Amino acid sequence: MKAPDFSYFEAQNIEDAIKYKSEDDEAVILAGGQSLLPALNMRLSSPSCLIDISKINNLNEIKIEGDFINIGALATHSDVMNNDLVHEKLPCLVDILKMVAHAAIRNKGTHGGSIAYGDPAAELPAFAVAMNAEIVLSGLSGQRIVNAKDFYLGLFETDLKSDEILIAIRYPLLDVNQHLIFDEVCRRHGDYAMAGLMAKVELDQSKINNLDLVYFATGDKPNVGQNTAKLVIDDGYDYEKLKKSLASEIDFAGDLNSSSEMKLHLATILINKILNKLER
Amino acid sequence: MDDIKVNQNPKLGSMDRPNSYIGRSLPRENAKKHLEGGGQFVDDLVLPRMLHVAFLRSPFAHAEIKSINVEEAKKSPGVFDVYTAKEIDEYCTPWVGTLGHLGEMRSPEQTPLAKKIARWQGEPIAVVIANNRAQAEDALELIEVDWEEKDAQVDMETALDDNAVVIHPELGSNLFWTRTVNQGDVNQAFETSHAVVQTTLDFARHTGVTLESRGIVADWNKSEGKITIYHNGQAPHMMQHIIAKHLEVNEGLVRIVSRDVGGSFGIKVHVYPDEMAVAAISKKLGRPIKFIADRLESFTTDIHARCHKISGKLGVDKEGKILAMEINDLSGIGPFSMYPRTSAIETNQVLNLSGAPYVIPNYKAVGTVVFQNKTPMCQYRAVGHPIAVAITEALIDKAANKIDIGLSEIRKKNFIPDNAYPNKTPSGVPLEDLSHEASMDKLLTMMNIQDIEKEKIANLDKNVLCGYGVISMCEVTNPSPLFYGVGGAHISSQDGASIRLEGSGAIHLSSSITEQGQGTEAIMKQIAADQLGVSMDSVRVTLGDTDATPYGGGTWASRGAGIGGEAVLKAARILKDNILDIAAAIMQTDKNSLDVENNTVIRKNGGEGITLQQLAETVYYRGHELPKGTNPELLATASFLIEGIPFVFTNSAMGCKVSIDQDTGIIKIDKFWAVEDCGTQINPKLVEEQIRGGVIQGIGGALFEECVYDDQGNMQNATMADYLVPMAYEMPDIIVDHVTTNSGRSIIGAKGAGEAGTGGAPAVIMNAVNNALKHHGTEVLSQPITPEKILRALGKI
Repeated sequence: MKAPDFSYFEAQNIEDAIKYKSEDDEAVILAGGQSLLPALNMRLSSPSCLIDISKINNLNEIKIEGDFINIGALATHSDVMNNDLVHEKLPCLVDILKMVAHAAIRNKGTHGGSIAYGDPAAELPAFAVAMNAEIVLSGLSGQRIVNAKDFYLGLFETDLKSDEILIAIRYPLLDVNQHLIFDEVCRRHGDYAMAGLMAKVELDQSKINNLDLVYFATGDKPNVGQNTAKLVIDDGYDYEKLKKSLASEIDFAGDLNSSSEMKLHLATILINKILNKLER
Repeated sequence: MDDIKVNQNPKLGSMDRPNSYIGRSLPRENAKKHLEGGGQFVDDLVLPRMLHVAFLRSPFAHAEIKSINVEEAKKSPGVFDVYTAKEIDEYCTPWVGTLGHLGEMRSPEQTPLAKKIARWQGEPIAVVIANNRAQAEDALELIEVDWEEKDAQVDMETALDDNAVVIHPELGSNLFWTRTVNQGDVNQAFETSHAVVQTTLDFARHTGVTLESRGIVADWNKSEGKITIYHNGQAPHMMQHIIAKHLEVNEGLVRIVSRDVGGSFGIKVHVYPDEMAVAAISKKLGRPIKFIADRLESFTTDIHARCHKISGKLGVDKEGKILAMEINDLSGIGPFSMYPRTSAIETNQVLNLSGAPYVIPNYKAVGTVVFQNKTPMCQYRAVGHPIAVAITEALIDKAANKIDIGLSEIRKKNFIPDNAYPNKTPSGVPLEDLSHEASMDKLLTMMNIQDIEKEKIANLDKNVLCGYGVISMCEVTNPSPLFYGVGGAHISSQDGASIRLEGSGAIHLSSSITEQGQGTEAIMKQIAADQLGVSMDSVRVTLGDTDATPYGGGTWASRGAGIGGEAVLKAARILKDNILDIAAAIMQTDKNSLDVENNTVIRKNGGEGITLQQLAETVYYRGHELPKGTNPELLATASFLIEGIPFVFTNSAMGCKVSIDQDTGIIKIDKFWAVEDCGTQINPKLVEEQIRGGVIQGIGGALFEECVYDDQGNMQNATMADYLVPMAYEMPDIIVDHVTTNSGRSIIGAKGAGEAGTGGAPAVIMNAVNNALKHHGTEVLSQPITPEKILRALGKI
């Protein structure tokens, strides 16, 4: 369990990192290393070079920009959890991050790394999709912004081009009527979930006006339950009906800890859990 | 729990004396060392000219090696050489994992590297020797093997079928070992029973997951003809014999050094092919060779355990008195029986221990152990106990439910009474000094079952169900020669201690028991200081070095305190006696008027004494001052072994309360209670941590841990992310208390305490879960009890 040989480049600024990456297709970006380094040690990948961006200044800033809260790619999960702005403007993210692995991993793992890696079982990609976040990418031809909904293409596949680096995530600030509620079912605390749900709810008085359901640990990428969300708005919680709807719009993929049937069941009852949380 | 204030063993004297350390929860010194990172583990060792190895392991569960080409690998940077079985076999003779005392066992010869056929995924077939591990791993990728995959016999349940893949054709079938125990007449007793209940339980394979993985540095010194093996094992003298025998080295010239060891749980008491290869390579090359298993290797090559399917039947009369019990156990052990302890012991323990706390006049047990193409299986903490206890206690709960009496009531009706020892298990194994009645009474006081019952009833129609269980069990500890030695294994059942007073007045103690993190060093120190009358900080301890410690068995089967501790006690008493003889001569008084307190020989009637330092200085440096004929011996050695019975048993009663979320299938253990009777507790805190740690591993078996295989015999979850062990969040409050019945086999009276938690927790958790599910007319009978199994049982998916 030792990584194969690779070269190492410590980027001093984003331009150098982009240049280096555009010149070497086999190079990969190293930020917190919490997914990459185990993969290297298990020889699941053998990149030519690690471009270490962790020393680049200002890439870990968390700030308000207009109607957005902007989280720099290099902010660690611990940075985000301990940030006053996040506590004030996006407190649900603090609760979500508590479910991400364990403290030692959160101290190194980065927000941008998790979003860019796109693990379908991870919380943050689903969160970004549910929040309708903007993902800021920087490449040879300058910056572009991709909506999180369009960013995730398939299993560990994103819209990130080979010369691009994810530099920030911009989350629209929630109105007073808008709530991001999440829940997940894990066998052990800190594990990847058997199924998890990020729900963005827009209320008109106590009535749900708008609802986005985004699942994680259910398929190949953050899975959006669009029709199911409509059913919830129209008819409330009906286990059998919602289960049928989810089965028709999400291709549930089983894993070691839960079969596809189990995931479908959990995905359904997670809606009830979310609605119960909403009432509280 | 606080210090126990009175040591309940009159043979050890009052606790109201200076230096009375036995029975006190003193902090242990080596914990500080480990917290500060000052430990010395095998991987910390760097020797001049040392090379590293990495093994090419079979990617298939069963495959023929048509050819291996290592030429490209040899050219890889940093590579010294690449060997296959041919080169290694010249330096290491094969072994066979059978013993003679338990009936016929059939297992073929095993060599360090597989020849021609690989029989489990992970079996080593070639080894790269390089300047560092990374370079060795680079070269592994260049070894070309022409594999021909064969059908694998993965499922133990079909291993004896006519169309099974016979893993060792020369044996004719996949049968390794079978045993039948038959006491009384079960069939007749079932016929006359008022109620007969049956069940079948499944136990998944799991493994030990030591924090420090297996590791070895072998250093052959050609000019001395001596090999030194730094090894993170449990039984250095056993390894000394094994290395000598198979490397064909004079046993006296084999030194095994086990410094700090990061957990073992029985995983590290076996002979592993890769470690034998490392010793052979060192002898071939005359250079130190290091191998540290990585976590992937740990999962596919450390022994696995459990893997049982057991069915049972229990007959009771109208009042709930047990009339008969019958069990039939099947276990799959991988392709080889492990050496030298064999892979029969787990099943043997299941047969020996089922029903052990109870009077069961008619008992029949059949055990069948088969080969399969999975990682070898062998003894892991609480060998066989979880299976024996779970089947017994599941049947008892079923019987109680059937005739509608209470869960504790039916047990109390059937216990071997506390005043009826010596006695025997239903299988005929001698028992003594146990306290099931007193332990259950104490447990019930702690648990307050009435309140739990109220909560359960209140929750019957709610989403979160509540359930509870209580169990009793016997734990095998302090084994005698009848465990292994009688079968022909060179495994000492005796342990020794050597203790000396040094010129400075310091005490040095060495013991053949080893430390793996459980506090062996601390309790040995407590016993020595207590018995000698010296302060704790004046005692220094050496363990784990065959050149420096007395001969003995090491640490396994919960034998450290009861056997090794008694040896320390005996040696300390001899040394004290010698000290008093010398002091009497120096002080020109009667020996009986003297004692040792606080490192000083005192006159019991008052008056000036002399310090041990003064006494030692006189003996060592000014011996001419001693009266002629004084015995100047300030070194004492003693040994101890259990005679006359196979084991000294410990007993426990355990209870737990669980909540089950019917939506998610998640089981939460709300609380866990354990009452243990391990006789004298040398350090109560360490005893309780053994019990708690054991319970946690039991929770692992009951709810989380499983080596998942696909149909082809590929392990699916060989990482710490996918193989689930309980972590801090999954650990409930575990309330521990004690009943004390000293063992009459020793002065110290200590029985073992290391395995009950692991042995009992799976049974009580399973019973609690099924207690909760009973209202819904369903049950889960396979471990680990996963959320998905719960939801399927409830018909939710």
